[in-house]
Amino acid sequence: MPQTLDRRRLLATAALGGVVGATGLGSLAPDAAFAAEAAAIEPGAPDPNFVEGRISKISGHLLLVLGSDTVLHSIRITDGTSIWKLHPTTFDQVAIGDGLYARGVRLPDGTLAADSVWVNIVNLHAHIAAVGRNLLHLDHKGQRIVAHVVQGRSAAVYNGTPAVSDLSLLRVGRHVQVLGAWHPDTNEIDIATVYAAA
Amino acid sequence: MIDLIAALQPLVVGAVLVSSARVKLLNRHARTAAQRTALARLIGPNRALPAYRLLGGVELTLGALLLLLPAPRPAAVAATALAVGFLGYLGYARRAAPASSCGCLSSRPTPVAGRSLVRAALLVAAAGLAALLPGAWPDALATRPGAGIAVLLAEAAAVVALSPELDAAWLLPLRRLRARLTNPLRGGSGLPLLASVQQVQLSDSYRRVAPLLRSDVREHWDDGEWRFVGHAARYQGRPATAVFAVPLTDLEPAAVRVAVVDDATGQTVLALAGAGRPAGPRLDVVPA
Repeated sequence: MPQTLDRRRLLATAALGGVVGATGLGSLAPDAAFAAEAAAIEPGAPDPNFVEGRISKISGHLLLVLGSDTVLHSIRITDGTSIWKLHPTTFDQVAIGDGLYARGVRLPDGTLAADSVWVNIVNLHAHIAAVGRNLLHLDHKGQRIVAHVVQGRSAAVYNGTPAVSDLSLLRVGRHVQVLGAWHPDTNEIDIATVYAAA
Repeated sequence: MIDLIAALQPLVVGAVLVSSARVKLLNRHARTAAQRTALARLIGPNRALPAYRLLGGVELTLGALLLLLPAPRPAAVAATALAVGFLGYLGYARRAAPASSCGCLSSRPTPVAGRSLVRAALLVAAAGLAALLPGAWPDALATRPGAGIAVLLAEAAAVVALSPELDAAWLLPLRRLRARLTNPLRGGSGLPLLASVQQVQLSDSYRRVAPLLRSDVREHWDDGEWRFVGHAARYQGRPATAVFAVPLTDLEPAAVRVAVVDDATGQTVLALAGAGRPAGPRLDVVPA
């Protein structure tokens, strides 16, 4: 923990400190950025740097993931991997049975060295069928989904304005788009962001 | 009492059939509604609309006979058969085409729910009772108006409660009213992380270091008036951390600062303060 605090103090000081190395921005011109993406994927071909599926085994920092097309992938979690599970979190929160989307770089042995992993992420277009205490009952193509509001985590974006924590403007019967974290093998999710008109 | 209930069933079943026929024959969205039903899968998309209309014609005829004839036993028998057909069709639709719409009492897309099946079963029972104990509903109502109206109201309430397509007319307003009175989603406070991430992504600082970023948000923490958001980055081939500093009180993207710190040495390789307010004309919106 003291190590984390020291690191954060270092990062905070760097961010709030003076302007350093602005000349180094020469390599950040748009041309350079687009040149870096030259290794494009052929249209229609699967993106080799993306994996989706459910975790069947965790050994060390290696995840074995069964894709929905029944292809088995191995994903390596590195020190630089960001892990999202309703919010940015740590590797110890990842469990067998979780679903995930991962993006990273393919290693020569076929393993995906993950840059970012989104665990149990779902993106739903639905109607609000009912609301309860910190709860939305969503009608998603005729299926009922129970969406939990997590205090301090769930946010709402009304009419495309900046996100707020106040979800009380949501109305029964209205259409919403919900980004959230699925509770595996249930019809329940935790709400990360709900996009709505108000 | 059972004679009274039986005598009133032609009125109930007739009203439901005529109401259902109205959707199939007069609604201008009937073509779309027909395509959404399991009929399209059962007999083909091209024949769905004619079959839907034909069904509406049969419902209208039977409904009118039930409402107008004095003791319409043959019509009640035919209505029982039709209701049994509905029950079988809805059971098939639910298993074979769960995404299809019921197409029953409204052109609004309504998946076949358990309630729709119970309603069809209620219709079978009502029409069957009318077939077993035929009677004239005007006479029954004239003889015992109080009990008769109570029976009709109870059955109408049951049909409405079992019709998911009618929820928008009564159930949603009730739920809205309850939500307005109890405000169950109250209590959210504080600045969500997403608001800071949105502010970062709109900032000039982010635009300038974006090609260096490798990951989504890896960590974030608040310290005093600032929120810090860290991403993994690579700078000249070396692993680094890009940390954005977002003021908690100033929502302007221009206030966002960023530093890129080498992970191995801890050295700041790049730091940008906010770009200040953008040049050019600025639109100030004044509340009326």
